[in-house]
Amino acid sequence: MLLLPKFDYVEPKDMAEACGIMAEEGILSKVIAGGTDILVNMKKGTISPQRLVSVAKLPGLCEMESVNGGISIGSHLIVAKLAEFDIIKKEFPMLAGAARVLGSPLIRNRATIGGNIVTARPAADLPPPLMALGAKVSLESKQGTRDVLLDNFFVGPGQTVMRSDEILSRIIVDKMPPFTGGGYIKLGHRNALEIAIVAVASRITLDKPDGIIKDARVILSAVAPKAIHAVSAENVLIGQKPTPELFEAASKLAGNDCSPISDIRGGAEYRCAMVEVLTKRTLAVALKEAQTK
Amino acid sequence: MKKLIKLFVNKKEYEIAVAPNRTLTQVLREDLDLIGTKEGCGLGDCGACTVILDGRPVNSCLILAVQANGSQITTIEGVADGKTLHPVQQAFVEHGAIQCGFCTPGMVLSAKSLLDNNPKPSEYEIREALSGNLCRCTGYQKIVEAVRSVSETMKR
Repeated sequence: MLLLPKFDYVEPKDMAEACGIMAEEGILSKVIAGGTDILVNMKKGTISPQRLVSVAKLPGLCEMESVNGGISIGSHLIVAKLAEFDIIKKEFPMLAGAARVLGSPLIRNRATIGGNIVTARPAADLPPPLMALGAKVSLESKQGTRDVLLDNFFVGPGQTVMRSDEILSRIIVDKMPPFTGGGYIKLGHRNALEIAIVAVASRITLDKPDGIIKDARVILSAVAPKAIHAVSAENVLIGQKPTPELFEAASKLAGNDCSPISDIRGGAEYRCAMVEVLTKRTLAVALKEAQTK
Repeated sequence: MKKLIKLFVNKKEYEIAVAPNRTLTQVLREDLDLIGTKEGCGLGDCGACTVILDGRPVNSCLILAVQANGSQITTIEGVADGKTLHPVQQAFVEHGAIQCGFCTPGMVLSAKSLLDNNPKPSEYEIREALSGNLCRCTGYQKIVEAVRSVSETMKR
């Protein structure tokens, strides 16, 4: 049986109390949300915080609000619920889709959206669609609240711009413009409990159903120290009419935009090839949705 | 320092003092003697430690007992009705879905939880619902058949 090291556990009742604790002892403390990542790391001995600060009792953190057609998601919302809300299924289907392939059903019933972001794993499932949707995160501390675009949040594996006294409270996704669609595809060896070999999230916005591409985002995951934009693919898409030839060209460029490593889950060359395939497929999914919305 | 917590396990209330570093699996097995809940990997990969917590199946090895304070928990001991097996348990017996038995409590709880929410799941939905529970003996086929047989006989 894997045992946990000794630590102290506190359960602040509101955000002010939680921020106070993190301001005083943030360096020795760690926030625990669902615990599906931090408890594994503590059992393996890779981290041993002196104190765990639970955010489970903070009001509003387990809820999702709809704001002007967009959504504001409390960081403690479990991943399973993310795939159950009608507004997410209807307006942000690629986010619901990513939530359905994270871990296993048992993990999804505990893991939280905030946890999947702050752990900053290069192959995490929720950051790619959230980045494609232009999501922001709210970071709270004793000094106040700051909003950070998810694009600017990750630094590298396990590293973010968060200070040790900050708590991620909400994830904000604005309403999408009309004729917007998205697609997320995760490639793994199996369907459950899998860490992506490669994953791609694409989003396009058309000016009208049969018009040109006004905005394009292509996010590549598990092929760099953090999820990245395929910048040259995005640039070639914007301003053009969507055609199979254009998507083919964008996919080739996306394959050159990444710098994967070879590891036990896949070789670098294979990963680049799969980036091309998944970019093409997610763009096709995104286009289909964009034309009907 | 130990914390005083309240757990409602199989509809019975328990008040216990636990150290924060003890998992729900440990407290169920060691303090409440409910040893039907198994620990396999201890890392959330195998699902042997599955319990139903506030209506959702979860890995009890990745939950601190203090996090479960105030929760309703169903373990495998709370599934049968006295001496009468739950339909899922009965189906596992009849279909030969049990070999070594180590994964069975978790499998039964994940299957029960699925059928409580979705009485007529497709084969895909059954396989997905059980995808966090690993079985090294059966090859899953007989487990899926057992769950499907229950979904066909359950009338709600």
